[in-house]
This record gives sequence, C-alpha cells and structure tokens, in this order.
Amino acid sequence: MAESTERRLPLQGVRILAQAIVWAGPFGSMILSDLGADVIEVESVQHLNPTRAGMRRLPPAILEGPTGALYLNRDGSEGFWNRHAFYNFAKRGHRSVTIDLRREEGRELFFGLIREADVFMENNAANVVEHLGIDYEQLSAVNPRLIMMRFPGFGIDGPYKHFKGYGATMEAVVGHSLLRGYSDSDPSATPAVYHGDPNAGAHAAFAIQAALYARERTGKGQLIDMSQAEAVTHHISYDLLDYRFNGRANQHWGNRHPAMAPYGVFPSSGEDTFVAIAVDTDEAFAALCREMGQPDLASDERFADLVSRYEHQAELDPAIAAWTRQLTQREAMERLQAAGVMATMVYNQAEMFDDPHLRERGFFVELDHPDVGTKRYPGPMAQFERMPLTPPRGPAPRLGQHNREVFQGILGLSDERLEELEAADVIGEAYLEDAKAT
Amino acid sequence: MSGALEGIRVLDLTQGVAGPYATKLFSDYGADVLKIERPGTGDVSRRMGPFPKDEPHLETSGMFLELNTGKRSVTVDLKTASGQAILRRLAEDVDVIVESFRPGTLERFGLGPDVLDAVNPRAALVRVSNFGQYGPYRDFDADDMLLYGMGGVLAVTATEGREPVRIGLYAPLFLAGGVIAAFAMGAFNGSRASGAGERADISIHEILTASMDRGGPNLVSHQYSGSLFFERGRASRASAMPNGVYPCADGYLHITTGPNWWDRFCRAIDRPDLITDERLLPHLLDPEWAPEIDAIIYPWLLERTKQEVMERAQAEGWVVAAINGMDDVARDPHLEARGFWSQLDHPVAGRVTLPGFPFRMLGTPGEIRRAPLLGEHTSSVLAERLGYSAEDIARLAQRGVI
Repeated sequence: MAESTERRLPLQGVRILAQAIVWAGPFGSMILSDLGADVIEVESVQHLNPTRAGMRRLPPAILEGPTGALYLNRDGSEGFWNRHAFYNFAKRGHRSVTIDLRREEGRELFFGLIREADVFMENNAANVVEHLGIDYEQLSAVNPRLIMMRFPGFGIDGPYKHFKGYGATMEAVVGHSLLRGYSDSDPSATPAVYHGDPNAGAHAAFAIQAALYARERTGKGQLIDMSQAEAVTHHISYDLLDYRFNGRANQHWGNRHPAMAPYGVFPSSGEDTFVAIAVDTDEAFAALCREMGQPDLASDERFADLVSRYEHQAELDPAIAAWTRQLTQREAMERLQAAGVMATMVYNQAEMFDDPHLRERGFFVELDHPDVGTKRYPGPMAQFERMPLTPPRGPAPRLGQHNREVFQGILGLSDERLEELEAADVIGEAYLEDAKAT
Repeated sequence: MSGALEGIRVLDLTQGVAGPYATKLFSDYGADVLKIERPGTGDVSRRMGPFPKDEPHLETSGMFLELNTGKRSVTVDLKTASGQAILRRLAEDVDVIVESFRPGTLERFGLGPDVLDAVNPRAALVRVSNFGQYGPYRDFDADDMLLYGMGGVLAVTATEGREPVRIGLYAPLFLAGGVIAAFAMGAFNGSRASGAGERADISIHEILTASMDRGGPNLVSHQYSGSLFFERGRASRASAMPNGVYPCADGYLHITTGPNWWDRFCRAIDRPDLITDERLLPHLLDPEWAPEIDAIIYPWLLERTKQEVMERAQAEGWVVAAINGMDDVARDPHLEARGFWSQLDHPVAGRVTLPGFPFRMLGTPGEIRRAPLLGEHTSSVLAERLGYSAEDIARLAQRGVI
C-alpha cells in the first residue's frame, strides 16, 4: 500500500478484508491497522455502512440530536458519510473499496480479493454472509489459507444466532446492565454503556493474530467464531462466580466495592464535577482523614477497620463530600495521590485534549483528512519502541477511495473494465440515491 | 487440544486483572505461560474472591481461578538476589514477557529493558501499568473505577442530577486485558519480524480513553461538532420509537428501535395495522411523540416475560434484549446450547464453572485448564528449565527464595 514513510510495522504484509462495522468491528480493525496490517474495508454504494450513516439523508431532527454531533459541524450535505467522526477515528490507515456483492461482477471482484487476502473479518448480523453467499465454506474453497473472523452479537450458531444487537443489547443479556447502576433505582436510571463493543474488537484483533501464527505451522486458515456476548461475560466473572459459589444474584453495586471502603464518587467544587476515591487500607484511610482535617475520624470505632468502615460507609460519605466540595477535582486528585490515597478526577471529556499527562505522552494524534481538515484523535493504545505505531499511517478513507488502487494493484483490472464497473454502479465513490440502511 | 499459540513461551509477571487476563488468553489458546508469584501470598487476585461459602482461601478465589487458567505457577521472591537470578534465567528462552509492576519495579528486580537486551534480546517486553511508564501521573495509584474516571467514561454514566456510577466490578480491567493481549501479539510479531525484542509501554488509562465505549466516540465528536455524542443523563431519545429500558411482566428489557424499523416493531407487537398509520407516521422521528408510542407498547410488554418479548422481537429483526440477572445468565439457553461454560475440577475448590472461550477457533481450539496452586510448578520448572537439582531447590526453599 502507498505509504509516506518506509518504517516497518509488526503486521506489515498482512492483508485483511473487512466488513468491520458499527463499534466492535472498527475497534478491532483499528488495532490491526495501527499494527501495520493492510486493512481494506469492503463497502458498497448500494448499502449504507452503518459506521458512516444510518440514513441516506439526515433529517434536521437527527442532525440536531446526538447522532448529528458525530458529523463535522453537524453538516448533512452530500458526502456527509466521509465526515463522520467515529469512522474517521477508527478507520485511520485503512483503504476503502466499494463492491456490489449482490451482482455477479461484484462477486468476481470480491472473490478475486479473497484469493489475495490473509484474513476476512466481519461482524455483520449472523445471517448476512449466508445471504450474500460468502460464508467460510465458499471462501475457503478459493483460498484455503484464509482466516475468517466472524463476530456477530451472539455467535454463528445457537438459539440466538439471528438476534441482532449492539453493546447495550449484549450487556443486558449477559447480566452487566443489572450489575451497574444506582442501588436505589431500577435499570432505567442507568444510561447504557457499550463496553462489549471494544471488548469484541480487541479480542478479534488478538484472535486474528493467533490464527496467523497457527497458519505458519499448519499451512491452513480457519474459521473463528466469536459471540460478542460470550466474550464480555468474562468481565462480570466476579458476580457470576458469586452466584455459582454462593447462590447470590448480585444487582446494582452502585459505587461500592466488596473490599474497599470508603469508596465512591464525590462532588468537587466545579459545577457538575466529581472526584472518585477508593480507600484500600487503614493507612490510606488515616491519610484521607488527615487531608480532610479530621484525623480523629480514623480512630472512631465506626471506621477503625475495613469491616466497620464497610458497614458504616454511608455515614462517612457526607463528611468526605463536604470536604471534596471545597476543592477542584484536580486539587483533590493531586492532594490525595500525594498522601497515598487512590483518587482520580471524573474527567470531563471536553477537557481531556489538554490533559498534561496525555500531552506529555503524545497520546492524541493529528490526522489531516481531505474533507475534514486536521483534527485530533486518540492515538494507538500502545507505545512501541522499535516499531513506533505513532503516528498512524494516514487518515481514514473516503467511501470507495481506493477502488482504482486496489482493483488495479491487486486484481490487475484495466481502465476500461473499471469504467464499466463504475458505469454499472458495481463500484463507485458515492452512495446511490436509493442506498439502503442496514 | 492443539492451540493456535502452541510453541510461544510467555513469562508472566502480571498481577490483578488486566495483565493476567491478557496472559490467560495466551494460555487458553495454547501458549506456555509461566506465572511468577510472590512466595506465601501470591497474586493479589488470590485474595479478591469471591470464595466458595465465603471462606477466604488462597486457592479458591474466583477471580484467580478465572484469570489464570492453564498457567504454571512458580513462586520466586524477586526482592532477593537469588530470586532475581532465577528470573533472569527464566527470561533467557521466552518469547514474550508481560509485566504489570508499578513503573520502575522491574528495573529494581534486575530485569529492566537494558538487562533484558543482554539476557534475551529477542524477547518482546510488554509493560502494563495504570498510567504508563512515564508522564506526570506515572506513579498515581488507581483501581478500575478510578481509571474509568480518568478515561472520561465515568463522567457520562450519570443520570440527571446524580453522581456518575461505575460499571461492573473490574470490567474496565478486563477490557484493558483484551487490548493488551492484542498489542502483546503485535509486539511478539514485531519482535519476530525484526529479530529485536519490542518494548511496549501500555497504559490502561489510555486504553480506556480511546475505547469505543462512550469514551472514544465522545472525544472525536467533540472535535467534529464541539459537542459530545453522549451527554450526562439518561440516554436521550433520538426518536419517538421505543429506545431504552422498559418494564415487562418479570423484569426489564433494553430496546433499540432504529429509525427505519417501524414495520419490524409493529409486526412484533402484532399491530401490522400501525405500519401505515397516517396519524403516527409523520412523527416517528419526533421525540415529543414518544408518549404516544409508549402508550401502545407498555400494556403489551406488561403481559409478557423478558425472554418471550426478546425472542418475539428478535424474530422480526427488532433489537430487544432481556436485562438478565446472574441467575438468568447461568441458565441462559443460548450459552448452554453453544457449550459456552467451562467446567474444571480443582484440587481445592472442587468443580468450578467458569466462562468459557471468548472466541472459538475451529481449526486450533486450544484448551481451558484449571488455574495452578500457588507455586505448584516451582520445582518442576526449576528442574526442567534451569536444571536445578533437588538439593538446590530445597536450599532455595529453605531460604524463602521460592
């Protein structure tokens, strides 16, 4: 692939075709691309890539709402799908081709690429590859060395195989939603989080590399089946095992911890700002009391050891809150950390780009995208010394941006053939007027 | 069964949750993982629980049993010169070293990057820490909730007018573990490609900051439009159609209705007549009309169980999920049918049922084996890998080195 620098990266030479969509897919393909794989996103002009667009036109209600915040300046004019914050974050360094997989000419292109690929990763709904006629059997028949990584919500078999889902769906079914949240409220009070998505993506990035390693030994590719729901089940193993061991069906921990007290999120002086505090030892508790100017609290028998503190922490919380309210969240964090007490700000994301620690570590990276200009994005999640992953190799691609480069470079198509395919809308660089949502 | 990573040797110097989850993945999928533990007390997760019958025991902590499947445990006191010598020798023929000490500790234990260059220049060194190996917060101490707070995600988990509320106990660290595993494989691949061991500095704080939970999307949307994608407060309703948490006969459901899914919704609740309802159709995307549609769905939901509603809705392509408790999860028919749970016999804890493979590799399945007892493999590893005699081993044990 065309690269501005000659630097080597760990997964150089690995070619991955991807239909890595919504959030789980892009998180995984971002890791693989950051590690140097040539990730080619296979999109189409007939079907909206849900990572770019949920609707062919964005009505004002959508543009003004939360979804609109993801588009540059909330601008819904043509080409908006190339100005999507999230796509442009996660798909950095990728290439994009468009193929109408429902037509024979498109299938030819796709199978041609499959022959030349190491990996096909996809997290479409489980039935999509079957409908398209691109399941593992069909693909491995033309390329037995192919690794196919499938990670729909609930896996590729079992009674929920056809269930559709997002992060919030998965975390509900595997029990995470009921563990989160305020101890005095029902689950409707707790906003959804999408914890299972990045988890599935990370596991896909690991699994693909594991299969590539195995292929060196076996000479063969393989199918990998991940249920995003299963992968995230590990995350609640404490509570699952408490149920298995002791029959306890825990719910709504709130901001409590089984082995620490006091423990919680406390208000600080700025409006709507908080500091999180976790006290793990008697020494840390004594230090907290000293910082609060109430050293006597440490010897109060209600709080003298972990067991009594745990029992009485609700009585302690107001005293801590009264003190934290006088400090900014940063002051509270720095004072308590210096005193040996675990404490951090509950960071407001709008301020994180200026964080001194992340700045010194060069965590945020600038990418210049032709339709968006220069923006800052979270960078690679690991700093490598020998083969630095930062900066990423380039911005995210526009829809179909690499059709020519890929179809000529890999498949050797002629200019005439490309023009024919374009004229027939088998490939293209803009969504058709009647492009469908997923 | 043959695992994909057969042949890879990992020296595991991690403790707690994030690092051990990463090396667990290596272990379950076939790598040989040597876990170094502190004599007497071992990994901190041996004290995390939960414990069968609530009786604390170093060998029965659920978190340890979950996070250390298939690893071999070698106890070495790294504060002693003899222990450090053993560590250096164990490092000689491994491919990957993963450590999660506080920054600076590995150097104190005599296996910093410079030493490793001499001892085993080809091994990848993956350093995991809360805030990275350098930077102003390097020495800050934090647990999962606090890292989640610094990563920016906790701030947007609050409901209106209340304090932010954490996610599942340790969940952010498991997520970090998956990311660490992916980059550890990357470091291993890079080391093999160049012949020079990669040195990776991985900050859990940065993982959570970039993560595609609520964090990453918010940071980038702020860059693009000046506003956050997720605001503090109840998930805002983007349309009139059902989205969010709804009650039903025996609990709650999480419902997602895409902007184009009106027909799926109507069919699922047996109201195909509404698909073309002229009164509602023009207002489906207007959140102000939400009460109208809620009034249709509430009575229907309250007559049905969460499992029933989920199955019915999903059959129409309408994304509805039962909000399950631990009891529901333990007997969920789908997890059961896929053979997800892994049952292991442990000499002290007895039969333990753990979450199984997070993904299934159909060509090279790997195997989930029970976690080791503290120091279970010390003698065999020192004898086989380092050629120590029984007498040497006894002497080291007497002095508390192992």
